[in-house]
Amino acid sequence: MSRKATMGTRAPGGMGGPISSSSSSAIPDIGPEDMCPVCKTMRYLNKEMKFLINPECYHSMCSACVDRIFNAGPNQCPHAGCHKTLRRKGFRAAFFGDLSVEREVDIRRRVAAVFNQQEDDFVDLQAYNDYLQKVEDLTFDLVNGSDAQRSAAEAELQRWEAEHKADIERNRKAGREADEQSRRRRAAEQEAVRQRRLEAAREAQEEKQERARNREAELESLAKGQVPADATQRVQLKRRGQANRAVEAAAAAAIAATSAAGVVSSGDGGRLSIRGLKEKKKAPAPEGPYDPFGGPVFVPTRYKLHPALRHHDSDRYRNDSQHRTGGFSFDDYYARVMFEAFAGLGVFIEDEKEVGIGLSASEVVGMAAGLAAVSSDRMDLD
Amino acid sequence: MAVSPLVTAPGEPSQTSTTNAAASPFKRLPSAVPSSSTGTPMLLGHHQSQNAPSAGGGASTMTLDPIEQMNETEKRKYIKGKKLGEGTYANVYLGHSRSDPSVLVAIKKIKVQQQYRDGLPLDAIRETKWLRELHHPNIISLLSVFSSKDQNLNLVLEYLPLGDLEMLIRDIDNVTYGAADIKAWMGMLTRAVWFCHDNWVLHRDIKPNNLLIAADGEVKLADFGLARGFGDPGYKMTSNVITRWYRPPELLFGARHYAGAVDIWSVGTVFAELILRTAFLPGNTEVEQIALICRAIGTPNEDNWPGVTQLREYTVPSETFPVVGKDSYMARFGAVGPDGVDLLMKTLVLDPKNRITAKQMLEHRWWHVDPKPRSKEDLPRKAEGGDKKMGADLKRRNGLVEDEPRGQKVARKLDFGQGK
Repeated sequence: MSRKATMGTRAPGGMGGPISSSSSSAIPDIGPEDMCPVCKTMRYLNKEMKFLINPECYHSMCSACVDRIFNAGPNQCPHAGCHKTLRRKGFRAAFFGDLSVEREVDIRRRVAAVFNQQEDDFVDLQAYNDYLQKVEDLTFDLVNGSDAQRSAAEAELQRWEAEHKADIERNRKAGREADEQSRRRRAAEQEAVRQRRLEAAREAQEEKQERARNREAELESLAKGQVPADATQRVQLKRRGQANRAVEAAAAAAIAATSAAGVVSSGDGGRLSIRGLKEKKKAPAPEGPYDPFGGPVFVPTRYKLHPALRHHDSDRYRNDSQHRTGGFSFDDYYARVMFEAFAGLGVFIEDEKEVGIGLSASEVVGMAAGLAAVSSDRMDLD
Repeated sequence: MAVSPLVTAPGEPSQTSTTNAAASPFKRLPSAVPSSSTGTPMLLGHHQSQNAPSAGGGASTMTLDPIEQMNETEKRKYIKGKKLGEGTYANVYLGHSRSDPSVLVAIKKIKVQQQYRDGLPLDAIRETKWLRELHHPNIISLLSVFSSKDQNLNLVLEYLPLGDLEMLIRDIDNVTYGAADIKAWMGMLTRAVWFCHDNWVLHRDIKPNNLLIAADGEVKLADFGLARGFGDPGYKMTSNVITRWYRPPELLFGARHYAGAVDIWSVGTVFAELILRTAFLPGNTEVEQIALICRAIGTPNEDNWPGVTQLREYTVPSETFPVVGKDSYMARFGAVGPDGVDLLMKTLVLDPKNRITAKQMLEHRWWHVDPKPRSKEDLPRKAEGGDKKMGADLKRRNGLVEDEPRGQKVARKLDFGQGK
C-alpha cells in the first residue's frame, strides 16, 4: 500500500505537472503541506521536513530547498512567475497553515506597530474611532487591495511613520512597560498559588505525623500497662478534633451558600483563601502615646511633703560642705523618712504572720486568697 | 517582711538557730539583712504569692529545722543545668523549674571566698537584699535564694538569653540601630533607675554590660552587688564605686555623701556610648578619667560647682577647659536630635545638685518628639552567644572594667565601712 502510494505521487512530480490534492481515490491525499512545491520531496520520505516561507512573497518551500538555493546568497524565488529576490535571513516557519492569513497577520502586526496611538492620545472618542477606521481602511488596502491601492497604502504608512516617529517610539515603550508589568503580576500570582499549595501540603503532612505520634504514644502507654493518666486529655483532644470538624463543616456550608449565590468557587479554593487571610500578621494594637514611666506613678496619698521640712538632728549636717558638694539631698532624706513613717499603713501584720512555716500549701493558698480579698477591700476603703 | 522565705519571724528562729548556728547561712540573714525600709504594700503582695508554694515541706525533711526545711523545698524547685560561665566571684548555671521545664532560670552560685570566710560576701548580701525588694519590668527579678552544700549561696535569677547592651554597641559590623532604638533602650534604663531611686536604692554600677536583654527585647538592669540605700545624713558612703568609665566626678573627687545623681551620670555616659558606639570616657586610671571629663565636659571649678575644691581628692589637670556648649555636643551626638542632646547634657552636668533626676528625665520632652521609641519586639538583637554573655556578666566582680589593660584585673578592695 505504502509503496503504491510512493509510486503514485512520484509520477506526477516527475512530469512537472501541477499537484492536485484530490487526485484519484487510489492515490492518498497529499496536501501542499506534505510536499515541497520546489523539490517535490514528500513528508513521507523525510519526517523531519519543515516548510519555510519568506514574507516577501509567501511562497513556501522546504528547509532543504532554502539551504540549497539561498546558502550562496540572495536568489530569485524558485516559484514560477515570482521574480522576488529573497534572502536566507528572511525565511521563517509559518504559524498559520493558510498563508494568506499568515500574510494578513504580518501586515496587521506591521501596521499596528506604526499606528500605535492610544485612546488617551485623542481629544474625544469620535476622533479615536475615525483614526481606527482610517487604520482599518489602510490595512484592508494593504491586504486585499489592487496593486495601485496597495502601493498607495504603503506610501501612506511610510509617510505616517516618518511623521510620527517620536510618538510611535514613546507609545511603544509605554506598551512594553505595561506588558512587562502584567507579566510580572501574572508571575507573582502563580508563585503565590504555588506557595499556598506547598503550605497546604506541608500542613497536611504535619497533621498526619502528629496524629501518628499521638497514637504511638497512646499505644506505648497502654503497652506499659499504665492506666493512661491523660485519658481525660485524650477525650479533650478528640473533642477538639470534633470541634475542628464542626468548624470545617460550617466553613464548607458558608462556601456552599456563596456559590449558590452565583459565585463559582470550589471548597478547596475557599479554604485556601481563608488560610491566606490567617497568614496575615495580626494587626498591631493601636499604640497610644509613649509613656516614659511605663505605668502609673505612685505618689504618697496619706501625707504631703512640705518643701521646708526640718528636723533638728539633720540640721547640723545642713551646713556641712561635704554634704552639700557631693550632691546629697536633704529633700531625699525627708521624702524617705516620711515614706518610711507611713509605709505599711493598711497592711496588717497579724494577718500575715500566720502565713508561715508549718502550713500546708492548700491552707496557704486559701489564706493568701482571703488575704488578697481582705487587703484589696481595705485598700479600697482607704 | 515576715512573709519572705529567707527571713524568719523574729523570736522563734532564734531558739533553733542557737542549736546549730553554722548549719545554714540563712540564719544569719535576718541580722545581716535588716527588713526593708522601703517595703510598700505592693512589694509585700508580691512576696506573698512568691512564698505560697514553698511552705509544703515533705515528711522526709522533718528532721531538719524549719529553716533548713524551707531551704530544701526552695532548692528542690529548680534543676541546675549546664554551666554558662565561671568566675572568681561566682559560677553561673542554666537551670529550669522542676514543675515547669520550660521556665528557664540562671542560677548564680556565689563562691566561698577567703576574704569573707566567716560569712557571706557583701556583694551577695547586697544583691539578695535589694533584688528581693525591687520588682520592676526593667530590673532583673530574683526568683529564689537557697544554699547548697558547702554553704554556697545560690541566687535564682530570671534567664535573659539575648546578651547585654554592650554586645550590641560593640558589634558594629553586624548590628545597626538608630535613634528610635536608642530612645527605647534609654527609656527602659531610665525607668529602672527611676524605680530604684524612687525606692531609695542606688545601683552604683550602671554600665552597658549590666544591662541584660530578655527574650522579648526588654532591657533589664542587673548586678546589684554594689547597690545600697541612700538618703541618711551623716552616714559616709564609699566613693570607690561604679566602674571607672561611668564614674561621676564627685566620686572621683572622693565625695562621701552623695545621692541618685551618681547613677544619673552613669546613665548619661551609657547614653553617649549608645550614640558613639564606643566608650565615651574610657580612662585607664582615675587621674586620666578626670582629665577626660575635663576635656569632654569642662573643668570643675568653684564657678560651675560651688564647693568642689573642698572635696577630699579634688585635683584637676593644670590645663583648664571651659564647660562645653551645646554646639559641640550637637556635632558629636546630633543623631538623637536637639532634644536628645539636651537630655544628654543635663545628665552630664558637673555639679550633682544641678544634675537632672531620673524622674525629671522621664518627664523630658525628648520621649514625645519623633522618632517614637521602637517597640521592644522590633529592637535589634543578636541571636547567638547571648547565654554565654549572661554567664560572663553575672560571674564578674562588680565595679570593674572587663579586660583592663596593663594587667589591672586584680579585684579592688572595696571600702564598705560606713560612719568611720
